[in-house]
Amino acid sequence: MSELFSEFSKAVIEGNLDDIVGLTKDALDKGLNAKDILDKGLMPGMDHVGAEFKAGNLFVPEVLRSARAMQSSMSLIKPLLAETGAAMTGKLLLGTVKGDLHDIGKNLVGMMCEGAGFEVKDMGKDIEPDVFVEAVQEFKPDILGMSALLTTTMRSMEHTIKALEEAGVRDRLKIMIGGAPVTQTFADQIGADGYASNAASAAELAKKLMS
Amino acid sequence: MDQLPIVVIACQVFQSLLEELIPAGVAERFTFLDYGLHRVPEKLTWALQDTIDEIAQPSLIMLGYGLCGNGLRGVKARQHTVIVPRTDDCIAILLGSYQKYIQEFEATPGSYYLTKGWLESGSNPLQEYQKYREKYGDDDATWIMDQQYQHYKRLVLVAHTMEDLEKYRPRAQEVAEYCQRWGMRYEEILGSDGYIRRLIEAAAALDTADGEFVVIPPGGEIEQEMFMRY
Repeated sequence: MSELFSEFSKAVIEGNLDDIVGLTKDALDKGLNAKDILDKGLMPGMDHVGAEFKAGNLFVPEVLRSARAMQSSMSLIKPLLAETGAAMTGKLLLGTVKGDLHDIGKNLVGMMCEGAGFEVKDMGKDIEPDVFVEAVQEFKPDILGMSALLTTTMRSMEHTIKALEEAGVRDRLKIMIGGAPVTQTFADQIGADGYASNAASAAELAKKLMS
Repeated sequence: MDQLPIVVIACQVFQSLLEELIPAGVAERFTFLDYGLHRVPEKLTWALQDTIDEIAQPSLIMLGYGLCGNGLRGVKARQHTVIVPRTDDCIAILLGSYQKYIQEFEATPGSYYLTKGWLESGSNPLQEYQKYREKYGDDDATWIMDQQYQHYKRLVLVAHTMEDLEKYRPRAQEVAEYCQRWGMRYEEILGSDGYIRRLIEAAAALDTADGEFVVIPPGGEIEQEMFMRY
């Protein structure tokens, strides 16, 4: 059985889209538990990809392919996960801040967190503070994740947190931030609850923020 | 205080410019590091630290870099004094000033810049696509490229001289043709060597170094916050 799970991990690591769809269908036909496929097959594969990405052994294209492979398997097992009543880990709202158009890292965070069992709503890029506030009021996320890739746009994160405070909704959620020039020091300075340096750590952080 | 010996450590992007602008005999040594290091910021940090640690005599180290995705964060000055342009990356330096960069950024946030250095090192969307196509086939390569570049609006060739613009135009236009798949328009900007000139001047008279530069005294360390402008 463990061999089958490691095949899932391998398909995720290789970003092999053709293999993973067949693999998922077969496994489900054989009566394998959707939650086990996720926890023992897909997630270990993605954890490996995350670690290798962080170490500089894998680059964005490889990680994108892996995330896509994982998502295609997820789309098959997701309805079953819901059926078995496996509770979602939490609700995550994501967006790249005002003035910033970079979204690859943020997209990866979304995929990783979905893998970690979050219900993810991705608002996209260039999001104004007020638009974040409206989305928070509507979607009621447990966590808000913001991304900025430039020192010039990082301040928008601070402005968004202020806007959430003014709207009186800041305390209803946790805030995590990330992006190439962002640091833990900056996160502390602007009053965010956490910082992650890459997509894999972001998923870990999100889980930690829920506990 | 006597002027410390000047040591230049820079990205290859600035090699020809620095060699041309720094008068002979002014710098003790030049080290140019690989273009690709910024892809893994930690590797850039280590490469810079290794290079700095090899310098025995207390020196004034001129870094031809920006913050480069936090690649410069954590670099320790040791017994040296370090000066570095206060910018996110090489683009502001190539354009000539931070103000010029902001002006361009505000006009068209989704700009992808092509430079002599990037074109020489093969780091541009067309060559990336060709590399991925070889590795993953056309469908996957196209998908990967779309994921990364679909939001860009403008492809900009930037160079300091008209000669360079003319020399790299044919290659840039090949890239531009490929980038039309995302509706990107092609433009050229004649940048300026002003930022590099001011860096050289500031290194020669440190007390004149203004907010355009980050200066780290001996024993200090480069921090990300030093690059924030407001």
